Amino acid sequence: MDGGPLYLEPRLEARLGSLLAATGTLHSLTDALGSPLHVVVPDQIAENLERFRSVYRRHHLSGQVYYAHKANRSSALLRRLAATDAGVDVASLGELQHALGAGFTADRITATGPKNPEFLWLAARTGVTVGVDGVAELDQLAALVRGHALAPVRVLLRLSGFETSGVKVLSRRSRFGTPVGELDPLLEAVERHGDAVELTGVAYHLDTTSVAEKATALEGSLAALEACRARGLRPRAVDIGGGFGVSYLAEREQWEAYTTALTAAVLGRRPPLTWGGHGYGLRGESGTVRGVLGLYPAHRSVAGAAYLDELLAQPAASLGGRPLAALLLEHLYDLHSEPGRALLDQCGLTLARVLEVRSQEAGGALLVRLAAKADDIALEDHGVLMDPVVIPRSGAGPGEGPVAVHLFGGLCLETDLITRRTVFLPRRPVPGDLLAFANTAGYAMDFHATRAQHQPVARKVAAWQDGDAWRWCLDEQFWPITPSGGVQ
Amino acid sequence: MRYDSITEAIGNTPLVRIDPAVHGLRNIDLYAKLEMLNPFGSVKDRAAWNMARPLLAEAVEHGSQVVELSSGNTAKALAVVAGMHGLGFKSVTNRMRVPEIKDLLLLLGAEIEELPGQSECLDPTATDDPLTLFHRTLSASGSSYLHTDQYFNPRNTEAHLTGTGPEIVKDLDGRVPDWFVACVGTAGSSTGVARALREEDPSVRVVGLVAAKSDFIPGIRTIDEVQEVGLFDPETYDTIESVSADEAIEGMLTLNRRCGILGGPTGGAAYHGAIRHLRVVDEELTERRTAVFIVCDRVESYLSYVRQRRPDLLGRPPRKNSPADLTDAEVGGAPSVTVAEARRWIGTEGPLVVDLRSPFAYAALHIDGSVNIVDELFAELLQGGLPFSRSRPVLLACPVGEQSARYAALLTRMGHPDVRSLAGGIIAWRDAGAPLVRD
Repeated sequence: MDGGPLYLEPRLEARLGSLLAATGTLHSLTDALGSPLHVVVPDQIAENLERFRSVYRRHHLSGQVYYAHKANRSSALLRRLAATDAGVDVASLGELQHALGAGFTADRITATGPKNPEFLWLAARTGVTVGVDGVAELDQLAALVRGHALAPVRVLLRLSGFETSGVKVLSRRSRFGTPVGELDPLLEAVERHGDAVELTGVAYHLDTTSVAEKATALEGSLAALEACRARGLRPRAVDIGGGFGVSYLAEREQWEAYTTALTAAVLGRRPPLTWGGHGYGLRGESGTVRGVLGLYPAHRSVAGAAYLDELLAQPAASLGGRPLAALLLEHLYDLHSEPGRALLDQCGLTLARVLEVRSQEAGGALLVRLAAKADDIALEDHGVLMDPVVIPRSGAGPGEGPVAVHLFGGLCLETDLITRRTVFLPRRPVPGDLLAFANTAGYAMDFHATRAQHQPVARKVAAWQDGDAWRWCLDEQFWPITPSGGVQ
Repeated sequence: MRYDSITEAIGNTPLVRIDPAVHGLRNIDLYAKLEMLNPFGSVKDRAAWNMARPLLAEAVEHGSQVVELSSGNTAKALAVVAGMHGLGFKSVTNRMRVPEIKDLLLLLGAEIEELPGQSECLDPTATDDPLTLFHRTLSASGSSYLHTDQYFNPRNTEAHLTGTGPEIVKDLDGRVPDWFVACVGTAGSSTGVARALREEDPSVRVVGLVAAKSDFIPGIRTIDEVQEVGLFDPETYDTIESVSADEAIEGMLTLNRRCGILGGPTGGAAYHGAIRHLRVVDEELTERRTAVFIVCDRVESYLSYVRQRRPDLLGRPPRKNSPADLTDAEVGGAPSVTVAEARRWIGTEGPLVVDLRSPFAYAALHIDGSVNIVDELFAELLQGGLPFSRSRPVLLACPVGEQSARYAALLTRMGHPDVRSLAGGIIAWRDAGAPLVRD
């Protein structure tokens, strides 16, 4: 284990793999548009949607898959999705305007998250479904509807604080939603505002990787819907949010070897694997590891649509042990889901040009400076560890074999590390080469980017396959008719 | 043997020789230390009792709750010990993945709290790791807990240093085995026994077994997880090897079926790991040697674990009149009616309407006058023959018309002259605006 390179190679499906192989295109793109540069692949999102749809079909479930817009602000991805039958979940006034402008009609939009009055008004005005956090928001919405003589608005009640019987499953505290224990006053408010709102169901979104916690919430939602029906309300949907995950790495063995080595490094049993001996949340205390690994579980056997499938197969203990999917179906409920990151799996990459390669002490890691800032490539902010792919400027480049490098950004700050980890590359890069960070479309692309430092933020282009060739346009120029050249 | 308390029956477990015809080693005598025969069912009885015993009097005085981070056997033993002293017990864990153990703990009066999963949208600056919160709660002023702290408590190791280890030496007539093989969980038993054996004879070889990193074997930690255990010291082991869940189950089967030792998968892992390690050295030996491994608990709690990974082992012969036997052509040819036809049919001939959904869904909304026989029960009913008179027509309904078509085909095959499936199911019925009632 000691000394050898520890690779964390990205998982590349065919489309993204093909784009990475188009080295000439990628270099001419960054030559023209600068570094860093985001490239999104709109056709992939339609393929990902189809994977979720196939899970719905397998369980005979109807309902909508809503793309959680906040995961990426790309217009191209949103417009491509508008050309499918997907929905979109918006969490701000700007996102709602973007969705309406991209071609989503109100019946395909839900508005969730913290809402200001303008956002709430536009949602009510256009007739999108509103995910309501609590009684206060319901009162506010009803007042808007009455005050501006709008049509009744469809609402989903966002619930939280689900409890199990027997074994108590602890849940992380959430800022959002109404605890199920306070459902009655919420339903009384729904009845009080019967002229202004129409209850269509309940919703939850739990920020957890645990299937068990989500199954508990879904089971609790079924009970809440029954409480609605008992009052004579006519709910027909449950929205289970997202959080289905992405598997970023190609090889489970690499992920396991890396995290084992990280543990050993924290305990001082091997040389550090990070800048300054950072432990990603782990620390050694007299030979014992303490703390919690603050890393995204980057290799997963079950993620995305397969995670949804697994969740739906969970048995509901309080309802006779039948699988959740069967219960949803038998109760005639629609299933709504809101994947963000998982719908963006394999939908994009980020390119950064190598500006400088500096040797430190002999045998030490190289210092590689990129024409990018850490906040342009926010993998590290989300705890995702994944190697970049070297795209040589010319041919194969010098073939020295594996090197360890530290990747720095272009800011005059000691903290501007693209990743705190020592990255192993299959060969030494040279200035002019590109490093391609694969699969950055979900949260890791422009989520954190700012203009605060008077440095350019990455531009974004959309790319698609045309036979063997890759074509591209600026992200904001892409429409679902763009690949045909706009002539049809 | 007469005892005043069940706790006196902890320890002094048998050391049983494995038949060489089973393990195939020519020069090594292999013994199993049957910790499964402790009164509460596992090796953890020793540690639980040894850790709790000195604190019980004070805990009883203060009415403290016994708490431990345990996913299984330690929790089981502590729940019993706490209950015997009129104390409550709470287990906090994120590792309890075996449903029978949860149920058993609830039966014993334990309270179980499962820790939440990792955040999907990671916050690398988060400070509220659940274990830290747990320890903070325990140390908060005014709280009254008896925390046994098995991963860091030296009395865990001590139970084996003074009990398990010396018992092995005594049963081998004062000799120390040449190899000691143990799975590593809290590292208590492996560390304690290893230390006891080395004190007698430093040449003993200690083999530690961990779970393969991507696998789950109850009671064993992976190579990374053991690093979080305060009692774990890599110097204890001459070698650390990993075992997969499949290998653990294979080892367990051998113990269960060929040795009459009804140990669980952890014991199976120890057996498999022992044989794999010893087979290599056995070839080179010219004189007799001895090896001991630990069978830490019993198989009964792990049936769902086995069902999930090796359903073939719990296979049953095919059943009569099963919907699974139908061909696609039979299902495709099942008689069915549309919603409009069904409504007319109900109005004219009054077929018996059977709703195959769960009682909860049926109670919420159903076709007026229908009866509810949930599909699982219906399948069982049919094994005994037709449950309806042939003279009464039957309309079967399920959510989308798929299951009802299978059962319509099956009932037709069984000789019912007029059974039909509601095409599109209750969902089509609702979508057509036909009435559904709650009564």
